[in-house]
Amino acid sequence: MSQEALFELKQVEKSFVKGKETISIFNDLNMTIDRGDFLAIMGPSGSGKTTLLNMLGGVDQPSGGEIWFDGARMDNLSESKLTQWRAHNIGFIFQFYNLMPMLNAARNVELPLLLTRLSRSQRKRSVEAALALVGLSDRAKHMTSEMSGGQQQRVAIARAIVSDPKLILCDEPTGDLDRTTADEILEMLQLLNRDHGKTIVMVTHDPAAASYARQTVHLDKGKFVHKEVLA
Amino acid sequence: MNDLYLIYKNMTRKPLRLFLTCFAIFIAFLIFSAVTTLKSALDSGVDLAADDRLVVVNSINFTQPLPIAYYQKVAAIEGVKEVTHLNWFGGFYQDAKNQIITMAVEPESYLRVYNEVVVIPEQKSAWLQTRQGILIGRKLAETQGWKIGDKIPLSSNIFSHKDGGHSWEFVVSGIFDGVDENYDTRYAVFHYKYFMETQTFGGDWIGWMTLVTQDPSINQQVADVIDATFANSQAETDTSTEKAFNKAFIEQIGNIGLIIFGVVFMAFFTILIVVGNTMALAVRERTGEIAVLKTLGFSAPRVFGMVLVESLLVALIGGFLGLAMGWLIIEGAKSSMAQFLPNLAMGGDIVAQAVLYMILLGLVTGLVPAYNALRLNIITAFNRS
Amino acid sequence: MTSLFAQIGTVAMMNIRSLPRRLWMSLAMVLASAVVVAILLAFLAMAKGFESTMNSAGSDRVAVMMREGSAAEINSVITREQVNLIEESPGIARDTEGAPLVSPELYVIVDGLKKSSATKANIPLRGINTTGMAMRGNMQLVEGRMFTAGTNELIVGTGVLREFDGFALGEEVRFGKNVWTVVGVFTTGGNVFESELWADVKVIQSHYDRGSSYQTIRAQLETPGDISGLEKTIELEPRLNLEVQTESAYFAAQGKQLEYMAIFGRVISAIMALGALAGALNTMYTSVADRAKEIATLRTLGFSNLSAFCGTMIEALVLSAAGGLLGSAAAFLFFDGLSASTLGGSFTQVVFSFEMSPDLFAQGAQLALLIGFTSGFFPAWRAARLPVIVAFRAAT
Repeated sequence: MSQEALFELKQVEKSFVKGKETISIFNDLNMTIDRGDFLAIMGPSGSGKTTLLNMLGGVDQPSGGEIWFDGARMDNLSESKLTQWRAHNIGFIFQFYNLMPMLNAARNVELPLLLTRLSRSQRKRSVEAALALVGLSDRAKHMTSEMSGGQQQRVAIARAIVSDPKLILCDEPTGDLDRTTADEILEMLQLLNRDHGKTIVMVTHDPAAASYARQTVHLDKGKFVHKEVLA
Repeated sequence: MNDLYLIYKNMTRKPLRLFLTCFAIFIAFLIFSAVTTLKSALDSGVDLAADDRLVVVNSINFTQPLPIAYYQKVAAIEGVKEVTHLNWFGGFYQDAKNQIITMAVEPESYLRVYNEVVVIPEQKSAWLQTRQGILIGRKLAETQGWKIGDKIPLSSNIFSHKDGGHSWEFVVSGIFDGVDENYDTRYAVFHYKYFMETQTFGGDWIGWMTLVTQDPSINQQVADVIDATFANSQAETDTSTEKAFNKAFIEQIGNIGLIIFGVVFMAFFTILIVVGNTMALAVRERTGEIAVLKTLGFSAPRVFGMVLVESLLVALIGGFLGLAMGWLIIEGAKSSMAQFLPNLAMGGDIVAQAVLYMILLGLVTGLVPAYNALRLNIITAFNRS
Repeated sequence: MTSLFAQIGTVAMMNIRSLPRRLWMSLAMVLASAVVVAILLAFLAMAKGFESTMNSAGSDRVAVMMREGSAAEINSVITREQVNLIEESPGIARDTEGAPLVSPELYVIVDGLKKSSATKANIPLRGINTTGMAMRGNMQLVEGRMFTAGTNELIVGTGVLREFDGFALGEEVRFGKNVWTVVGVFTTGGNVFESELWADVKVIQSHYDRGSSYQTIRAQLETPGDISGLEKTIELEPRLNLEVQTESAYFAAQGKQLEYMAIFGRVISAIMALGALAGALNTMYTSVADRAKEIATLRTLGFSNLSAFCGTMIEALVLSAAGGLLGSAAAFLFFDGLSASTLGGSFTQVVFSFEMSPDLFAQGAQLALLIGFTSGFFPAWRAARLPVIVAFRAAT
């Protein structure tokens, strides 16, 4: 295993049982994700890109094969171990932001820190830093339900990075946004990758979004069909 | 911020719904506490009755008299320590609606048998020596405003005075207390001799007898001997413990009480079901958010706990407010109801019972959604929304 | 342009068709209103049943006399001499031979074993003669025969038979040292007399040391409701320390005894109704939130806000009315005709049946609709004022 690799997927299989049929999504999938990469995964719907992202994020598990993360095998971890693992290593960004409507922006960002042992003041500093990074310091006390889509997604980004995870997983992060706002969000992700060393994996169907990534892989019927390296 | 803050925010996100839910719980527990207190007040007459005292009544029915000769005969029976006899006077003061529990008794033995009746020695001897003297319970004296030395006319709805009319003149010669708070002192006793000499029925007859035995363990034995003694005589007797006697009397009010409490409790539980449904729904609506929390790395047991604590809190807030209101109402009604329900008080057992139901409500309504949250599959949750 | 009624109809149908989507919340509202209605009806049916058991016993044609101040039969004492004096009074009907229709009666309390609790309870044993029985116009023997005067025979009311053990036809009953035989079962059309045992008055006088005394006098009146003749006699004769009233007035007063049940029931159900209302409001607000987009879309299409208001209102009324029906049906099923007994004014058991009369159902329906209206009004107001823009917002 190379020193570079953060993720390594070996002969991963994934199938669903639907009724009497077994639908196979992946059959012998192999891939490596390097540290510091910004990887876009593209493909038509049903190609398995979201399933792949879920397996990387530890919310779904493969039916066969192995997934290694940072030198440790993680596909066979128990549910509760995986939950802990997610809390420490992964930041999530969703298409529809998935913020808590009853909390203000700062509290939303603080949420993952409840899973750490940080003190109140340490938490406060981390939240401030994360909000400053996404340019929302002045909106800390605002309710997220009163924010625009772009602002909400920036709060979500702050939430994803506040506990300083190694990996950020994005599921169609710009799917609900207009072009200009989408570009702002993508530039922010690029910045996180370039200047803060975050490894980012992003699922998208938008080629323009994918163009911000270092490399793009195309997935179809459970196979990588094409790979572009941009930077 | 901590988990409690999250729970609080979840709870209060729809303030109107929270208010309505708490209000319904409030009503349910208000009714529960008030009605249960009422019921226990009705039952308390039984609980307070002494278990070691025996009551001897005419076996036809306790309203039928017994010959006075029985008094001496019972006193002579082995194992009987003290015995006294009583007659129901059917008393009222001024207005027929203002009924006063009044009994004509044999004074000295009465005070020996009813040792819960506490009267200071000077007043005791004054009463024993005054033929027209009447001994009044503290609570009764307070409500009627009677003092020692007062001359009070009491009327009977049963008996006639031989001088005409139904009114007797009494002198308050003593005011007695109960040995403890719970003893109901809302009655009066006066001299049997005075009663017999002045009423028109004539004859020396008594209403019933009350006695204590040498030892409570021989009660059944003594009771059997008494009833056997008077079997096949002019007036047969029926002897039972005071407690059993009072219980039978309360039972006479009958199954309507049972029906009422049945209906009210059914209603109480139905309200809880209705409310529980709303509370469970409130959690179900948040499936997506719970999935997010789990994705972020909140463990399943932690999410489970948060949901459970939330429903417990709602149940306890509404429940305690209802309980408090019930307590206020009972306290307020105490004085005006004192005549009928002297022991109207919300006991610790009722509070404990109510709290138990609150916790049960919180657990039952929270458990299903919390369990769902625990088992919630993140992927299917996201696919749904 | 559709008429307003057509609009309201359309919106209301849409609301009601979408009910299954909110099945549990809707059922909760139905249940809540059902419970409140059932409770109200249970209490009212109890009070009503007791009252009619008493009221139907009283006749206008009969006067009841008791010793003054005694309030109930059990407390009264009347001497033979007083009976003789009353028999001479004007205003009393006489039979074909000119004998006054007067019934001196005794009222002794005996113990019976109650079926429901297996404890002893008071039953009246009434000493009566044939004249007295004739005054209970609807008295009928349903089984066995009449008691023979001068013997230890008694007849038992169907109410006693229903609620107490040991009074079946042919059984021997022991009160004290006296043994009685049940020779007949009688009915008086469901009224309070059915809660009694009847035997020959002379036999009771001798068995219970009553000498020649009685407890009440009943007299058939010459003119129904006119007791002035008797009142005059009593006033003029110092030996008659009696009170006279028509039998119907006597029982009407006794029938009020369970009126507190009706009051208690109204209070309880009013408080419960508040709780149910809270539940129903939750349901209706959920309904409006659930259909916000539909309502806004209709409003965009040109439906008036009145139709949005009425649609929600109708939904609330339909749900609460369904609850009202359910509650009434449950109350009718469980309580109508339910036999109960309690201690009556004369210190004896009165056996009565819960009675669910049509006016009670009307009261239940009123309560259900009141809950429906109140719980519909505020959410309907919100529906009517929902901004049209909601239609264009993304699903939340």
